[in-house]
Amino acid sequence: MNLYQWLLFLHISGAFFLIGGIVVAGILHFSAIGKQRRPSEIATLYALVRFAVPLIYLGLLFTFAFGLWLVHEAQFGYGDGWVVTAIILWVIGSALGSIGDKSQRETRLVAERLAAEGDAPSPDLRARVLSPLVLASTYASGLVALAVLGIMIWKPGA
Amino acid sequence: MVALIRPESWNLPLFLHVLGATLTFGATATVALLGFAGLRREPERALWLRRLAFRIGLLVLVPSFILMRAAAQWIANKEYPGNAKTPGWLDVGFIVTEPGAILVIVMLILAWLSARRVGSRLTAAVPWLASLYVIALGIAWFAMSAKPGG
Repeated sequence: MNLYQWLLFLHISGAFFLIGGIVVAGILHFSAIGKQRRPSEIATLYALVRFAVPLIYLGLLFTFAFGLWLVHEAQFGYGDGWVVTAIILWVIGSALGSIGDKSQRETRLVAERLAAEGDAPSPDLRARVLSPLVLASTYASGLVALAVLGIMIWKPGA
Repeated sequence: MVALIRPESWNLPLFLHVLGATLTFGATATVALLGFAGLRREPERALWLRRLAFRIGLLVLVPSFILMRAAAQWIANKEYPGNAKTPGWLDVGFIVTEPGAILVIVMLILAWLSARRVGSRLTAAVPWLASLYVIALGIAWFAMSAKPGG
């Protein structure tokens, strides 16, 4: 195998880690939405999200580092429109994911506290789970990742 | 360099195939996570986690798998029409998805059975089968992306 094949494998592995991790976090977050969800159940699901987070960060690192290397190796230009767009979306997606991650960590701590205090379903906790900021940042980061995947495949303007 | 010069008409099936594959990877990993978490909890909580694992398997993993496999066939028909000989890296993909479909079905049946009662001996098999399939998907994405041997 030549360098290009290795770089493509590592770059695509990054995409799998990133989108796969977002899918894991998204499914677990979606599963936490339920009127009668007890705080201990929400805490359990959000604790499992922690396993997806390293996968997402590894994916971000691999897609970015090996993606830039691939641009050089495949003799594209760093100023090409599709490359610049992908990098901008990568930065936006990372920022959105980071907002969602921070908020979910706070929600998990609240859920753990409420679980220890009787474990009754809490409207406040439900409001945190359904927070528009969390929902928007979580799902928008997933959509941005899909947009980057589309750009990588179509390479508009290349 | 083949990826750089592929015809425009291959892009949509390729996009859908990669999308389906990443969703399949994420959904299978989630089933594994919930399954392992369900092994170490009190019976009521374990049952709830196993039910969740079964629902995610049925509602997310199965559609994702179908998207991945159907799009794979679509692009394979474009790239290797008729009786054209397929390369080894493509055969790896078929090996992972065809017996893989049986593995997913078996895993779902076991997940359904283990979600029905506490203390089922089938419980431990589900996360291990899901983990096995995550590894198989990893082998497929190595073959599909690096295309060793051409």
